[in-house]
Amino acid sequence: MTLASQIDFPKDKVAIWGHMKTENLGIEKVVANVISNPNIRILILCGEEVRGHRSGHSILSLHKDGLDENGRISGAKGAVPFIENIGEDAIERFRGQVTIVDMIDVRDKAEIMKAVEKELAAGHESYGEAFIVDIISDNKSDRPALKRLTGKIGFHKDLLLDPFLEFDEMPKEE
Amino acid sequence: MLNFSKEQKIVTIGDVKLGGQPGELPTVLFGTVFYGKKYRTHEPEAMAEAEGFINTQEEMSQLTGNPGVIDIFIGSEEQAEIRLGFVLDRIPGDRPICIDVPESDVKAHVLRYAGETGISSRLIYNSLNLGLGEAELEALKEYSPGCAIVLGYNPRNMSTDGRVEVLESGAGLLEKGIIDIAIDAGIKNILVDTGATPFDHNVAETLRAIPVMKNKWGRPTGCAIHNTVESWLWMKEYRKTNRDVYLNCDIGANAMPVILGADYAIYGPMRNAGRVFPFVAMVDKFMAEGAEDYFGVEIPDHHPKRRLK
Repeated sequence: MTLASQIDFPKDKVAIWGHMKTENLGIEKVVANVISNPNIRILILCGEEVRGHRSGHSILSLHKDGLDENGRISGAKGAVPFIENIGEDAIERFRGQVTIVDMIDVRDKAEIMKAVEKELAAGHESYGEAFIVDIISDNKSDRPALKRLTGKIGFHKDLLLDPFLEFDEMPKEE
Repeated sequence: MLNFSKEQKIVTIGDVKLGGQPGELPTVLFGTVFYGKKYRTHEPEAMAEAEGFINTQEEMSQLTGNPGVIDIFIGSEEQAEIRLGFVLDRIPGDRPICIDVPESDVKAHVLRYAGETGISSRLIYNSLNLGLGEAELEALKEYSPGCAIVLGYNPRNMSTDGRVEVLESGAGLLEKGIIDIAIDAGIKNILVDTGATPFDHNVAETLRAIPVMKNKWGRPTGCAIHNTVESWLWMKEYRKTNRDVYLNCDIGANAMPVILGADYAIYGPMRNAGRVFPFVAMVDKFMAEGAEDYFGVEIPDHHPKRRLK
């Protein structure tokens, strides 16, 4: 993960790379992606840390200590470090599958590639079966049933507009 | 265009008023300064550029009648004194200043610093959210800012109801609702932020929540919808060769919450003030005519409706 930096890598050496800006939804997507490929055993955290969100520090904390009972990443210093859209099983799989190499704030590509080469030389084995998590659903079956209204314009269940209401003054509520 | 039977509070922070019925007051525009690595070491060149942005926002505010608030990004304790001092030197008087501090521990430090330098009443705290820490809460009680933005971001449930829940009850993630936490900490003025989310993460609920929350609490409400555009994956590539198109989307997005009744917009980088202010002023003119012509809402003289004929 290159965090806030834009760094490209050779495809024959690195399976996948990219930004990770946020300490909640961003981490969820990275975890889901990584565990879908059991051949990914090493996650190198590099590039400039994301100001405020501290997404690098947050994923390190997730890997080290997991979540507390409220879904908050234990020890994370990022702004809103909550993981809610992937299960404990996915997080445990992530913690078991990968080793994190902490190179946060290292932007020198040559230095990062040294770490890549070292891990390639170590020859890490596959972690077994892929673990698939759907964090964005576009299935029709997941959509709510069509809500039908009679005589109103609907915006929300607490905010229905009556197009036939007649009034001289707006009724006021304190 | 819209009018609520629920009384809509007008909050006054220094010389800025916000809230009321849709169209009643000009939209208050928050521009963020010091976000980006070029400002990290506060080099004279970068600071001069920041000063230029601050001046431009002020000029645009005078031109359109939309109050401009400086949203100061503070990423570390070391940055607090330099950045706050810089802005305070340039914006004297009682104009509110917004502190945009993501990290809880840094928030506690900034609150303490503001309290000790006597500027707490001018502070708009951005934001009180789920990431609330113990030191932060203690600092909020001891050095209460004049105003706080309460963020309706609920990672467990991004529907409008989920966003309401985190503000009202804490959604099981906090012991009580974020609005009550703010009130109990002694914060007198509260702005509601519906919590912009990315596309495919119930993005429309960011907008739906605006009239729903105004209808429910009658408090000034808004959001930072530009964050949705900023995180749009397709646009990340497209903007590299089509910057103007990106800016159209980033700035144009601010129309949607305002049309739905938003009282303020956190519009992103202050460098865009020259484009954002006239655009939002135009939307405000539509809203003000709708409010005045149909609902008889009184529109003040400094409103873009009157100022920009």
